[in-house]
Amino acid sequence: MHVSATTIDEVQQDGPNIVRFGMFTFLASEAMLFAGLICGYMVLRGGAGSGWQMPEALKNPETMVKTVVATLCLISSSFTLHFAEGRLIRQTKGGKLLLVLTILLGSAFLANQAIEWITLHNEGFWFNTAGIMGSCFFVLTGFHGCHVFIGVLMLVATLIRALTGNITPHRHGFLECTGLYWHFVDIVWVFLFTILYIL
Amino acid sequence: MSQFLSRKRSLIAVLAALFLALGASAYGAPRTSGLWWMPDVASKSGEQIDQLTYFIYYLTGGVFILTQVVYIYFLIRYRARRGVRATYLHGDNRLELVWTAIPTAIFIGLWGYSNHMWWDVIHTESPKDTMEIAVMAYQFGFSFQYPGATGKLGRSDVKLISADNIFGNDPTDPATKEDFQSGVLELAIDKPVRIRLNSRDVIHGFYIPQFRIYQDAVPGRTIDWVWFIPTKIGSYQLACSQLCGSGHYNMKAQIEVVSQAEFDKWYKEKVAAAAGASSGNPPAQMK
Amino acid sequence: MAEILADTFPGEAHVSHAHHPELSFFRKYIWSEDHKTIALQYLFTSLFFLLVGGSLAMGVRFQLAFPGAPVPLIGTLLPSWLVTSAGAFQPGGYNGLVTMHATVMVFLVIMPLLIGVFGNFLIPLKIGAPDMAFPFFNALSYWLFLLSGIVLLSSFFVPAGFPASGWTSYAPLSSHAQYNGTQAGQSCWCVGLFLNGLASIAGAANYITTIINMRAPGMKMFRLPLPVWALFITAILLLLAVPVLSAAAAMLFCDLNFGTSFFSASNYGQPLLWQHLFWFFGHPEVYIMILPAMGLVSEILAVNARKPIFGYKAMVFAMVSIAGLGFIVWGHHMFVSGMNILLSATFSFSTMVIAVPSAIKTFNWMGTVWGGSIRYTTAMCFALAFVSMFVIGGLSGIYMAATPVDLFIHHTYFIVAHIHYVLFGGSLFGVFGAIYFWFPKMFGRMMNETWGKIHFALAFIFFNCTFFPMHNLGLNGMMRRIADPMLYDHLQSSQPINVFCSVSAFALGLSTIPFLVNFFYSIFKGPKAPNNPWRSTTLEWTVPSPPGHGNFETTPTVYHGPYEYSVPGMEEDYLPQNQPAPETARLAAH
Ligand code: HEA
Ligand code: HEA
Ligand code: CUA
Ligand SMILES: [Cu+2]
Repeated sequence: MHVSATTIDEVQQDGPNIVRFGMFTFLASEAMLFAGLICGYMVLRGGAGSGWQMPEALKNPETMVKTVVATLCLISSSFTLHFAEGRLIRQTKGGKLLLVLTILLGSAFLANQAIEWITLHNEGFWFNTAGIMGSCFFVLTGFHGCHVFIGVLMLVATLIRALTGNITPHRHGFLECTGLYWHFVDIVWVFLFTILYIL
Repeated sequence: MSQFLSRKRSLIAVLAALFLALGASAYGAPRTSGLWWMPDVASKSGEQIDQLTYFIYYLTGGVFILTQVVYIYFLIRYRARRGVRATYLHGDNRLELVWTAIPTAIFIGLWGYSNHMWWDVIHTESPKDTMEIAVMAYQFGFSFQYPGATGKLGRSDVKLISADNIFGNDPTDPATKEDFQSGVLELAIDKPVRIRLNSRDVIHGFYIPQFRIYQDAVPGRTIDWVWFIPTKIGSYQLACSQLCGSGHYNMKAQIEVVSQAEFDKWYKEKVAAAAGASSGNPPAQMK
Repeated sequence: MAEILADTFPGEAHVSHAHHPELSFFRKYIWSEDHKTIALQYLFTSLFFLLVGGSLAMGVRFQLAFPGAPVPLIGTLLPSWLVTSAGAFQPGGYNGLVTMHATVMVFLVIMPLLIGVFGNFLIPLKIGAPDMAFPFFNALSYWLFLLSGIVLLSSFFVPAGFPASGWTSYAPLSSHAQYNGTQAGQSCWCVGLFLNGLASIAGAANYITTIINMRAPGMKMFRLPLPVWALFITAILLLLAVPVLSAAAAMLFCDLNFGTSFFSASNYGQPLLWQHLFWFFGHPEVYIMILPAMGLVSEILAVNARKPIFGYKAMVFAMVSIAGLGFIVWGHHMFVSGMNILLSATFSFSTMVIAVPSAIKTFNWMGTVWGGSIRYTTAMCFALAFVSMFVIGGLSGIYMAATPVDLFIHHTYFIVAHIHYVLFGGSLFGVFGAIYFWFPKMFGRMMNETWGKIHFALAFIFFNCTFFPMHNLGLNGMMRRIADPMLYDHLQSSQPINVFCSVSAFALGLSTIPFLVNFFYSIFKGPKAPNNPWRSTTLEWTVPSPPGHGNFETTPTVYHGPYEYSVPGMEEDYLPQNQPAPETARLAAH
């Protein structure tokens, strides 16, 4: 919290940072949302002990491989978006292409998660049938999935702005927010993947 | 200007009102009338707790009167008057220090006192001759299980709770065989009692105002640290004090504190009856 | 839409608005992005909800005074989940009344009144900004709030009606339809609070960004008026506490509707997990409901005592420490919940410590009126009463903070008395005072002082008559949330007190009518307000009442702290923040 007075004009000069600032505050509360869920997970898992039963369908190597791939997709999509950002702002080549790539990677992740849910459901594991592990698994991945989905929508919106030439060195706040949000969602997944699949 | 009108009238309004608050705090003087004050205490720990309650009562009462008297004096003394300017003062660090340090000291001291008592009434081991009684709360009532002839309450486990084993008694423990159940909480005066608290469905409250005792009964868990010593013969009511559904308003059970002799008589009959019954778990009597 | 978020810098927003002041009716009144209009939308909506929550309370009081008596007039019109065929309240329906009363009052009345109304209206005006940082999300916040209210109240019409497991919705009662019997209503509760949370977060992020980035030149953090400080700290609390409730509400919703077992006793769920999550939010929440009121009251006291606030920095640091400590005291709601009893000792300690900053504030308020030249405006009366009422409510908090005493008074009416002294005598009195004080700036007209005083006197007297005896009921051992005290031996003797409370409560309810009449009459017919009717120093009083779009013709420059009253060497007894001190003035360097 800086004590020196910032004037509106100053803000205008480095305009986007007010947008970035706002986005960071918002992400802080997003972080608390997942913190709440994850703390709940820890308490429950700690208490459950042997009651924590991982469905076969999740344990089997095939699903594991798929999920790892999906995870890699998501992580790499953070990088593609990062590079896309610089190019789009500087309006140099390849920016839009990288953006499209990011969208595809994100969608791939979502697709895999959808398939995973469906297979689990078919094998009889659902919110109400997979014990406490299922409760945590479906709600945590569900929450995260929604975030990824919104993220993809934001990416598409960004793409449209890029195509309509609405991203300039001076007008790229939305792009920046999408970037921050996407990276955040990405980091959260790394946590979820570790606690739900590996541990 | 309009907002200056009727300074006197408004002043009187404020004062009258503030005094009302002050006066209000004065009634309910200790033990004058049962109507305004705590029901007579009927347990050992309750007597201790009342001491603390009184201590806080006088502390906060004193603080309240002190602050309000000074405050109201200021409000009269410093009302706006023609040609009198307010003192230009931004604060005083020495004062800040004083009124930070003193409350801090008081509060930490109070914590020490109350926490010491908390250990006395909750943590300390109950005496050797403590009788353990299992209490099972359910929508919407309580039932109790007493140790049989052995005087030892049989093992129980929340996982074993079922329609025909409402206390979750552990059949492998012979002691459970002779345990008997009751719809009334019959207690002997001056005899320490430990409660083994369980719930079958939602969270219920185990609340006896005269004993100054409250403990939630949490389903899926056994809470066994609550114990007390009844000190007054009489009948009381065990009230559920945790919102537990549409029947919460009327979820209670009778408590009878009787002389040791009377208790033993009652106890013998019950044990005999239990021994008579073939099954270790006669159906619970509801209410 | 997101355009507005991303690509308009606040300054730009200001300028561009200035270009075309002519807005369509829709943009002007419905989807307005002007913080002042949004504040008024919040004001009218939450006053309406105050009537709803109040009427529910009237129902509660009626049942407690006359258990089993048919509700007059409307009794037979009410749905069957609420009343018997004779028109008397059902016990289950009563639980619904209590639950919705509290949920409405907390989430749809006190929070929006303090944060939605005064946060929106005052922050930009007081820091010299043209508007909030993200006007779009500001508007979104209001409409989400309204939606949450509609969802919550719609539970009146669903099968089995209102959620009935208390505003704390303890699991597994709340999480299992077969236990609570109000699956639909309880689901509305979860969804409503989730939406309400989104609204709060949108607002909070906005406030923080605005206060940090959009202060006028010279407006150092330690020159911010105290309401802004209070709202800033509150916004941080909201940002960090509310999402935890959202998470918990989502889990509860799944338990209730999808059969997950987070909070159930079976399948390795943990009922106490709900309480920990709820109170981790819940305690910061109660300070969220008092801090803004403290800020508003501090300012009203300073202005009407014509004195600088006593110990400005102490006030700020006190609020900061209240906020910080607020996150580590939640266990004081769970002393006897079955939580580890060692934890109770620790939480008892932190609770005692958190009372200290409140003490500091109380004494500083007294220091502020000391040596003042007190004008008894209606706003001032409410502000002065706030201090006394908060002291009573706070002192009763000390009883509960002492774990052994809590063994006796937990879940009794002693708690109910505490709640209402801090929330009604505290927060709501603060709100009333603030409405009387900022009304001229909001509507450009004055409210009637005489009727204001009448409202104050009635509210003050009947408030105390309603809630003070509840301490005694609590000491009698009267449990909360019971529909019929007469069923308990130890409560029958004290039933007259219940009747007394109820009669006073109806009077208290009616006491709001002079307020409402005065309020709406003055909006249209009140005498025109000058720019600065109270002769205050802060920036909002330097612009016309009501301020135009964009607030300030030119960005003001701030020269000194917010409360320079009765400065020696000036013949005016106040020195506006945007005016350099005259040579003769002898400002104290502090
Ligand atoms: C605006 C809301 C608000 C505020 C500010 C407070 C302030 C405090 N509250 Fe309260 N509280 C609630 C709202 C609030 N509370 C609600 C809604 C509940 C019920 C929830 C439910 O179950 O439904 C509750 C419940 C509650 C409980 C749980 C009771 C139970 O369920 O058994 C406890 C226990 O410790 C508690 C303690 C305190 C304390 C110690 C303070 C302190 O911050 C108070 C500090 C202030 C003072 C102490 C007064 C001024 C100080 C002086 C004059 C200095 C000198 C004083 C001394 C030296 C003694 N509160
Ligand atoms: C947040 C602020 C807030 C406010 C302002 C109020 C205001 C009131 N409250 Fe509330 N109350 C709570 C918060 C609040 N309450 C909470 C958190 C609980 C705990 C709930 C729980 O246990 O889960 C509670 C619980 C609670 C109980 C305990 C119920 C129980 O445990 O069984 C009672 C009982 O008397 C009560 C009464 C009142 C009354 C009479 C008012 C009055 O001040 C209201 C006055 C009315 C108005 C100001 C509205 C406008 C006026 C009218 C509409 C008048 C027209 C009608 C007639 C006159 C008939 N409240
Ligand atoms: Cu059981 Cu209330
Ligand atoms: Cu609290």
